[in-house]
Amino acid sequence: MRLLVVEDNAELAELVAKGLRSAGYDADILSSADEAANVLRTTFYAALILDLGLPDGDGLELLRELRHRNNPIPVLVLTARGGLRDRVLGLRSGADDYLVKPFALEELVARLEAQLRRPGQLLGSSLRIANLEFDTINRQASIDEQPQMLSARETAVLELLMRGKGRVVSKKQVEDHIFGHSGEVASNAVEVYVHRLRKQLAERGARVQVHTIRGVGYLIAEEK
Amino acid sequence: MIRFKSIISRIVILHVVAVVITSIFMSLALSWLLNYATDNIHDKAMQEQAVSVGEHLSARSDGSLELDLPLDLLGLYSQAYGRYSYAVVDDRGHVLFSSLKDHAALFTADTRSAAVEFLQQRRGDATVSGASVRKTIGNQVVWIQAGEDLANRDVLIDDIVADFYRNVGWITLPILLVLLIADIAIFRRALRPLRQASEIASDIGPTRTDLRLPTDEIPREVRPLVSAINLALDRLEEGFRIQRDFTADAAHELRTPLSILRTRLDTLGDEGIARALRKDVDGMAHIISQLLDIAELDSFVVDPREKADLRAVAAEVAEFVAPLALAQGKDIALLGTTEPVWVTGNPEMLSRAIRNLAENAINHTAPGTTVEFIVDDDGTVSVLDRGPGVAEDERNLIFQRFWRRDRRKAGSTGLGLSIVQRIAELHSATITLTNRHPNGAGFSVKFLPSGS
Repeated sequence: MRLLVVEDNAELAELVAKGLRSAGYDADILSSADEAANVLRTTFYAALILDLGLPDGDGLELLRELRHRNNPIPVLVLTARGGLRDRVLGLRSGADDYLVKPFALEELVARLEAQLRRPGQLLGSSLRIANLEFDTINRQASIDEQPQMLSARETAVLELLMRGKGRVVSKKQVEDHIFGHSGEVASNAVEVYVHRLRKQLAERGARVQVHTIRGVGYLIAEEK
Repeated sequence: MIRFKSIISRIVILHVVAVVITSIFMSLALSWLLNYATDNIHDKAMQEQAVSVGEHLSARSDGSLELDLPLDLLGLYSQAYGRYSYAVVDDRGHVLFSSLKDHAALFTADTRSAAVEFLQQRRGDATVSGASVRKTIGNQVVWIQAGEDLANRDVLIDDIVADFYRNVGWITLPILLVLLIADIAIFRRALRPLRQASEIASDIGPTRTDLRLPTDEIPREVRPLVSAINLALDRLEEGFRIQRDFTADAAHELRTPLSILRTRLDTLGDEGIARALRKDVDGMAHIISQLLDIAELDSFVVDPREKADLRAVAAEVAEFVAPLALAQGKDIALLGTTEPVWVTGNPEMLSRAIRNLAENAINHTAPGTTVEFIVDDDGTVSVLDRGPGVAEDERNLIFQRFWRRDRRKAGSTGLGLSIVQRIAELHSATITLTNRHPNGAGFSVKFLPSGS
């Protein structure tokens, strides 16, 4: 699978590419937004790793242009600016994820794979935490490789949490995901499903924990 | 030297002074001119009277002189009329003829020097003014004097002088006043573009460095000043831009080599030494990122028009720090209102303040406890922990840069709370620190509610 790294610092670009190669990807390197815009018009890449501070302009411009042309390529933005707001701005401009320099290579690969596992993207369809696995094509959860039967809504909640692995999924997101925008939702409906899911996972011996962050959302992580 | 605060008052004062001086000077000059003219007319008339009296002088056969005045002239010089008088004096000073009762000369001064002379002399209560004209009749030289009693001077002439003050003298005053009003009006009109420019200038500040004063309508006399101000604003804006760029550049320049270092360590594999070095790099990256935040805050200005939803910002931060807390076996909760809370401020700066409070709380709270975020609809955000709390003598120290209770403790730079304090200062927000029962600390920051 071929990835494009757009980073003006040659040394860092080379190191990132090397890291990606050792994780099993092919990586091309470009050092300017202009070149990247040209290449992306003619060549297909599975994902784009984009530095925001490029010599010939802001990477956000390139990103907006890509999205303007309805190019759905997953974009992981790298930036030297660490503000939460910069993150929000980056995500609003069409980035799928955002990493502040310096970052761990492992983190970069993990975030990238989370993007590549999105529906319609190229990577295998399986999400995994400890002994819990979720196949996004068949929408099937397994614990210790044993397929598990869960209700449709428990499955939907689990899928959302597994996709957002390592991050908080807000209660609103869960609500929208399960119920869509249709009609009234009882205020504790989400809690009820999360509670049931948590109980099911514990009973079936999954070594994961579904954390409730009060007033914020939920996060799934390996059990300690 | 009187100092005038405004140009208008300067104009008014100077104009009033000019009006007073001009009206005094003009009336004096005009009345002098008028007097001079009437005196001239009087002198001419007296000279003519003397000449006409002289025309009626004739020499008798014995050599003595005879004066034969016609009736109209006799009337003119009559005692009853009393206004005009004449006398004829010979070269020895004898008075030959005189219209006066005492048969005296009008002027006793030696008049024998010039052909025509104008004289004035007091006689009792009256002042007589007139002319003395030399005339040779036969072989005799005589001086004919004609005079007028000034007390009985022509009423018409006096009326003209008096009327002058009433009609001509005072008309200068309203004319000058109208001129003054016109001047003030012209000036106010000319200054109006300056007033407009002042209004624009009052909007210029660190958050609006792009505004410039309009030069089109400014009077040409003032335009160099306005242009110079605009050039100064250009230089200031450039200064602000350089300062802003510096922090962005510094962030890039510092973080890129750190990224290279971090990535290189990652490609080394997970040996013990590499893991320790990674931890060092992460600690250093944290310090650098906080120093960059401080550098940015030093040149940061809050735009008073900017507003932020405190509740949304707090939720963002809680979401962001939750994985961090959970990894340390600590919990996060967001309590308080669930409605938007609009406050005046920059969302990024608010988020940094709350994030630093949260990181501080997560560092100090005991494992298994919860760090609580509480957003109040009055614009207060509180972050509460279950740590050791803050000792009375450390209450002020904790906000100082690089202060740490335990310097050996990893993960703390001693910069977080100073960043919070600086952001609070910039937003005119107040920080309250409370110790919780039975243990723990609570930091509350109250921001200014935004109008809408």
